[in-house]
Amino acid sequence: MRREDAVTLGPPGTRDYIRVEGLRVSYDRENTAIEDLDMVVGKGEFVAVLGPSGCGKSTLLHVMAGLLRPDAGRIDIGGRPAGGAANGESPRIGYVFQDHRLLPWRTVGQNLSTVLRAAEVNPEEIEERIDRYLGMLHVERFRDTWPMRLSGGQRQRVSIARALAVHPAVVLMDEPFSTLDEVTARLMRQQLAELWQESGQTIVFVTHSIREALFLADRIYILTRGPARVFDVVTVPLDRPRGYEDPRLTELEGQIVARVMEVWGYGAVDVPPDREG
Amino acid sequence: MEGKRSQGLDLALGGLGLATLVLLYWVGSRTTTFVPPIGDLLSQIPVFLSEEAIWPDVLATVQRVFGALAMAMVAGFLAAYVMNRGGLWGRVIDRYVNLMLGIPSTIAALLALFIFKRSEVGVYFVVAIITFPFVALTLLQGLRAADRRLDEMSHVYRFGHVAHARHVAGPHLVPYTFAALRNEYAHAWKVVVLAELFAVNTGMGARFARAFDRFLLVDAMLWLLLFMLILLGTEYLLLLPAERRILRWRASAREAAAGEAPA
Amino acid sequence: MAVRAARVGPIGPERLRRAQAFVVAALLALAVWQLATFISDGWVPSLAEIATAFAEDVTTPSVYAEIWITFKRILIAFAGATSVGIALGVAMGLSRRITAFFRPIVVLGLAIPDPVYIIVAILVLGTDESSGLIAMILALIPFVVNIVVSGVRSRDRGLDEMSSVYRLGRRRYLIDVVARQVAPALIAAIRTCFAFSWKLVVLVEALTQPRGIGAQIYLSFRLLSPEHMIALALIFILVLRAVEALVFAPVERRVLAWMR
Repeated sequence: MRREDAVTLGPPGTRDYIRVEGLRVSYDRENTAIEDLDMVVGKGEFVAVLGPSGCGKSTLLHVMAGLLRPDAGRIDIGGRPAGGAANGESPRIGYVFQDHRLLPWRTVGQNLSTVLRAAEVNPEEIEERIDRYLGMLHVERFRDTWPMRLSGGQRQRVSIARALAVHPAVVLMDEPFSTLDEVTARLMRQQLAELWQESGQTIVFVTHSIREALFLADRIYILTRGPARVFDVVTVPLDRPRGYEDPRLTELEGQIVARVMEVWGYGAVDVPPDREG
Repeated sequence: MEGKRSQGLDLALGGLGLATLVLLYWVGSRTTTFVPPIGDLLSQIPVFLSEEAIWPDVLATVQRVFGALAMAMVAGFLAAYVMNRGGLWGRVIDRYVNLMLGIPSTIAALLALFIFKRSEVGVYFVVAIITFPFVALTLLQGLRAADRRLDEMSHVYRFGHVAHARHVAGPHLVPYTFAALRNEYAHAWKVVVLAELFAVNTGMGARFARAFDRFLLVDAMLWLLLFMLILLGTEYLLLLPAERRILRWRASAREAAAGEAPA
Repeated sequence: MAVRAARVGPIGPERLRRAQAFVVAALLALAVWQLATFISDGWVPSLAEIATAFAEDVTTPSVYAEIWITFKRILIAFAGATSVGIALGVAMGLSRRITAFFRPIVVLGLAIPDPVYIIVAILVLGTDESSGLIAMILALIPFVVNIVVSGVRSRDRGLDEMSSVYRLGRRRYLIDVVARQVAPALIAAIRTCFAFSWKLVVLVEALTQPRGIGAQIYLSFRLLSPEHMIALALIFILVLRAVEALVFAPVERRVLAWMR
């Protein structure tokens, strides 16, 4: 795929394509999910957001996608406020949820065409994009199949194809591989890394797996246990393509584990299970 | 995020809804000859409540509701158990439950009047027979939905029959029992009024009908209000809190916080 | 309190077993009834008496005319209650504000006994045919609303978020996301409403109308001929259950096909 296909906003290489400033989100009066969080994502950059379970990572994606309104602070994507006003005004988002969230009563192809029609893509192009993105994710043969007939990995592929097909300003991914078996997950990570390199798509990828973050991302935002603040930002010093079992990656993983122990390690059990939306 | 404010608004809207009802009633009392004005109604409440003659009837109705419902619950449980085991008798009971599901309560009341004449038994019969099939089906659903994974667990850890019933099957059925109880509680109250209307001279339904027959419309309205007060009061102040307390191990807090649809 | 869905007609030995169960159930019921006749010293009509009355009523054309009158009333009340109930239920399921406003009204509506609806309707609107119908519609709406609301509420919130992220828009969201998930609840609501309406109509006709099968049942009761009361009730119940089985079961199967 050519680079310019996915490019919708802003010149390539913009360092602060996504800008998060002083973000604060609270569930209610007592419980704060995100506290004073700053973050910058460059155009075409792959950024991982790493944090312990229940720290508010998903909440961050919710705010970026406009599903939640922050109590304070702002998020700009390509110079436009996220979750702002009407259709055309806020940036277009691709979202890969932890579960696939496909419409079970629509076929794979219809699932894509539904969101593409909502994005006001013209009919001939809809067909073309469905073929292209299902092909890119190697699920073109399931075009006329219902999602429930697919395996977990195949569903997640369709979900990724859907996210890319709308040509979003950014693709948000919320632990998309955490429910898959390890072999499938590795294959998917590998292919996601390749896909990203080909497409130049900006990706924000939430995970609790340090190794996954190191394997995929250019930079990693490490968050504290909730309320989430930025604990550290790590630039991954590895060339691509990377190996999942690369000893340098393992070494980095060890270093990060040692560093986050103090902020993640305590009270791992006293977080209410339903905090992470 | 806006939890408290939202709740306040909800309450205000609910109040507005009730106010609309009162307004409708007021319009009704102004435009028709027979509906008593709100003022008359309110001024009669203390007199009505201090009348000692009303309480035996209230008590009679309460007794009938609880007695008949207890019968329906026991019979419903037995029926559900037999139906769940299947076999010839399971299917026979299934036939009966289906048949009873299709009996209009009016016909049941008239039938009871014939069989039991004007006796207390008739009221119990009507209420029990109308609520029984719903109880049986709800509990059957519970038995059918038994969690196989927990069954496996209790098998692996060698739970005996008693331990299995006490720790696995029993707790699993509790939510279904409550669902049946809560649905059929209100149902029983409404059926009892109908049965009393046709079949006996005592109880709230009979008193309501008598007041209406003598065209004492204020009295009829007050009986209705008292009826609704007792039904809703017991349902929301006793039954629902009890259910919430007993089922607090279920993570239902999220369900309660209903969100809104996307724009 | 949704009425249980009819199962798809099985074949072979299963059908035989069901027939067997039916025969056993019928024989047992008849035996108990006959016993009651003996015990009550003839006050409870005997099986022979009921059978005679049944044969008589089932061949009387006017009985079907009465059933037809009743059936039209059922249809009007059913159509009115389902359309209002579904519209209100969907609106309440989607919006917290609308729920907050209507919740107390629905709760009160559920707590009013059926006879009271009918009596109050007569008081306010007079003894026209329409007051009985309005009473029925008002009494049925809360049930429909309750089933529809819980159906809409229990939809997958994850798909709501998906629709919002991909900006499906109100119309497409309702058609593509909500309608499919709510269909089973809608069908349950429609079936329950129909079942309640044909049971309720008996009371309405007994209390208000000179015509209709309910009125005839009540008349036989007052004329002290229980055998005719039972026979008429049986005919009416059989006809309406047949309508349920023939009309609703196939519709349900078709609409819910994608679930299987």
